[in-house]
Amino acid sequence: MKSIRSRLNLTIISTLVLVLSLTAVFLYFRISQHVVSVYDNSLHDKAQALISLTELDEEGLEFDFAEEGVMNEFEPGELAHYYQLWELGTNLLIKSPSLLEADLPLAGIALGHYRFQDLILPDGRAGRLIEINFMPRVEMDDEEEIVETPQPRAITMVYARERKSLDETLFAIGMTIFSIVVAVLLVTALLVWHLVGRGLLPLSILARQVSKIDESSLSARLSQPGEQSLEIAPIIDQLNHLLERLQSAFEREKRFSSNVAHELRTPLSELKTLSEVGQMMPEDREQLIAFFKDVGEISNQMEKVVITLLELARSDAGLLRSDPEEINLSSLCDSIWQMAKNDHVFDKQLIKQIPEGLIISTDREKFSMILNNIFVNAISYSPQEANIELSVEIAGDSLILRVKNMATDLRPEDIVHMKDRFWRKNKSQEGTSHSGLGLTLVYALARILKFDISLDLDNQRIFVITISGVPLVLR
Amino acid sequence: MKILLVEDSERLQRSLSAGLKRHGFSVDQAFDGEQALRFVKQNQYDTIILDLVLPKVHGLNVLSTLRNDGNNSQVLILSANDQTEDRIRGLDLGADDYMVKPFSFDELVSRLRALNRRLSGIKNPVLEVAGVKIDTVARLVRFDDVVINLTPHEFKLLEYLVRRRGRVFSHDQLIDQLYDAASYVTRNAVEAHISSLRKRLKASGAPGLVKTRRGFGYLVE
Repeated sequence: MKSIRSRLNLTIISTLVLVLSLTAVFLYFRISQHVVSVYDNSLHDKAQALISLTELDEEGLEFDFAEEGVMNEFEPGELAHYYQLWELGTNLLIKSPSLLEADLPLAGIALGHYRFQDLILPDGRAGRLIEINFMPRVEMDDEEEIVETPQPRAITMVYARERKSLDETLFAIGMTIFSIVVAVLLVTALLVWHLVGRGLLPLSILARQVSKIDESSLSARLSQPGEQSLEIAPIIDQLNHLLERLQSAFEREKRFSSNVAHELRTPLSELKTLSEVGQMMPEDREQLIAFFKDVGEISNQMEKVVITLLELARSDAGLLRSDPEEINLSSLCDSIWQMAKNDHVFDKQLIKQIPEGLIISTDREKFSMILNNIFVNAISYSPQEANIELSVEIAGDSLILRVKNMATDLRPEDIVHMKDRFWRKNKSQEGTSHSGLGLTLVYALARILKFDISLDLDNQRIFVITISGVPLVLR
Repeated sequence: MKILLVEDSERLQRSLSAGLKRHGFSVDQAFDGEQALRFVKQNQYDTIILDLVLPKVHGLNVLSTLRNDGNNSQVLILSANDQTEDRIRGLDLGADDYMVKPFSFDELVSRLRALNRRLSGIKNPVLEVAGVKIDTVARLVRFDDVVINLTPHEFKLLEYLVRRRGRVFSHDQLIDQLYDAASYVTRNAVEAHISSLRKRLKASGAPGLVKTRRGFGYLVE
């Protein structure tokens, strides 16, 4: 895995190398072009000087530059220059003494034109020549003599000299450009490394903070030291929200596991003690019968808790499906109330305000579980001999169902906790008869049946559970 | 050993107290924190078995009230809370032991015996006085390697007096310490148990361990 810093550095530096190299090549090309042009101009000037010293008079062509002692650079020697002239491109007119037996190359060009060419000089040095085609100047003493002057003919001159100074200049320019490019690259690379590192510092700090977080430090929150960065701030905000959610999920999970363990530990210890103590007193039949009765009750309770937990797990996993059928609401409520009566000893009445023949369409099993849990809670948490009220309200093609009961122990602040798993107003006062999962299951089942559940407690301590969205069958 | 069992589960109360009584402990039962504090004010307990999640007053509040009031009864917390923090909090508030539910009844009895030994300062589970050996675990009394058969009441009486050698206990003190509040035990019953204990010891050739301090009570010297 590559770091962003390395990748950025590599990309920026590679781009810089490419750009600087191209610039350097372009620069070198332009400068060398200019230098060569200057050099060529000097060749051209020299050639023009030689041309100006070439004249045609009545005696024929005269080459003043070839006179002894006029231009010593054409004498044989270490730094000798060279020239050679042809008439009409073929007849050799003259050549510099420095050429000895050698000749300069002749390409042949049109009159008035010139060209440059690199060559190896006869003495073995690298050189450069100019080939120029011109008409010699005609020397006129007076007008009468013009008639007698021979007609000039085109002369081709090749002038050549060493190009060492040019090559040295080009090399020096090349080396200077290369050195500047290397130096700029080095400085830039260091600057890039430093600046990218500085720019990515908030990310590095964030990475360090994140790497320190594990399940034991989920309460930690990420922060950005110094000036807030526009790019990092939303990441930190989102991560902090994520941490918050993760922390609460962990706490919920921990609380849930602890609650499950607690709910199972108490009946398990009851069973264990009953079994161990029972074995100590095989002769005490009366005591043993009481113990067996307790074992039966404990088993039923544990079964209830386990079944509810399984239903919740299925609901959480999305395995529960609604299987609607037409149900007579009044009859169903009666049978659920009767079931509650069979399971619990109480002296309370269900005051039911449901029109006979009201048919709803929903999943019978799940709706029965909802009603059963609501009834059992209402029975358990209302004062003795207080009645439970059940009423309905028709809202278009659906029903609103309300179950009301007196709940003297309940406080308004309890309402928000009532659907929490294992929440009980007073765990100890309720003993082990309630696990605190009833309303959680009601909510889970209602979600599957697409009902809305709301809980209210008024000033008179009347607790109301409202189920809305129960599909009504209209005939 | 007199125990106050503070537990809100009626079923656990029923089985635990039956089992503890079988092991010779006298057990009073409290079902909530308030009741526990009331019992403690009225009676002297060797050990209190205390659940934590209790109605009315939480177990930890009961414990801290006890310690603030200078009550030195040994407290064994018996709770479904198994987290280390729960144990630390309980022990730091003055509990002497902590057991997590579900528990082994035999282990609970062993821990109660250990607490009892700590209370009396005698670490050996076999008490010995003038050649009479009282095995508090096997609940057997021997003299010259011969077992002396005692009833649970007699054994409880003998163990209590031997553990507190040199101290005189009146009838009322013995009733208070050896029997639970629900048992109706009279002075005559205590005298009858003492007399029977003396007879059984004498019949096996053991020396008369239980002395009477007239007007004060009984002791083992």
